[in-house]
Amino acid sequence: MVREVSESCVESLLSEIVLSYCSGFYANKPELAARRIEAIGFQVGHQLSERYTMDRPRFTDNLEAIKFICKDFWSELFKKQIDNLKTNHRGTFVLQDNRFRWLAHMSIDPLVQASGNIQDPSAMAENKSAQATGMHLYFPCGIIRGTLSNLGIECAVSADISNLPACELITLITYNSFSYI
Amino acid sequence: MIVCLAVVGHENNPLYIQSFTESDDALKLHHIVHCSLDVIDERVNNPKKSSPTINEAFLGLLYPTENYKVYGYLTNTKVKFILVTTDLDIRDADVRNVSLLFFRKFHAAYVDAVSNPFHIPGKKITSKTFRERVSSIVKSFGLSSAS
Repeated sequence: MVREVSESCVESLLSEIVLSYCSGFYANKPELAARRIEAIGFQVGHQLSERYTMDRPRFTDNLEAIKFICKDFWSELFKKQIDNLKTNHRGTFVLQDNRFRWLAHMSIDPLVQASGNIQDPSAMAENKSAQATGMHLYFPCGIIRGTLSNLGIECAVSADISNLPACELITLITYNSFSYI
Repeated sequence: MIVCLAVVGHENNPLYIQSFTESDDALKLHHIVHCSLDVIDERVNNPKKSSPTINEAFLGLLYPTENYKVYGYLTNTKVKFILVTTDLDIRDADVRNVSLLFFRKFHAAYVDAVSNPFHIPGKKITSKTFRERVSSIVKSFGLSSAS
């Protein structure tokens, strides 16, 4: 039995989450709103990882787990794989998605593309739109953190959206369970 | 005959324990499950070179006591499933396939129970649906292995 989910419903739900938390529950406290949204993502990632690691053999190290996220996990969620994976071999992984599905329908402020001197009000506007878009990325960061945590890897995930619609998710692994089980 | 089923979390905290016989002492079965956790840790930390793959989920027969056989299964998320049976007269090859199939179905039921948004990870599974599903899986395996 294949279950289907309406993609537009998922996107509406996500934008509504961000809207409710940023303008409703924690208006004027963006850090708290971000933490709550990330916590929701954490629980979702936790549960999704149970489901999608079901038929696989166990992972041997961090790289295997990250590769699982880049390939199988991302394909289950977004029907595509991560486009580029970079690592410094010391626990930092950068996952780059050239067209992040949940950001694909967001407008890119043309002022953001301009470089050079920008007057103050325009710079503030650029900051606001970047901040607003950034709020939408806490949820996927939480999902990745929840998935890795369920596999025994503690990490911190942040997002970089300097060139929309591409999005880079930076994962810093702080502790992993592969040194002992 | 399946006597007891247990799900143990990655901190060795019990998430679900159910016995299927009224006669046997539940405490004794819990004790057997507890001892088998040590065997699982040993198996996982010191993989024998002769075992087919060290990363398979199904751990096979953990240890036989005088009345019971105990089978283990370790998921990717370090959750352990433990199955205690009294099937002493079935050949090893058959039993392996049968218990592997059983664990697959049990894993599917566990994943569905954990995906419940009202389930708190780390706490016991209290879903009635899970209990009923597990009972029906056990019944279907009880019937097939009795043949």
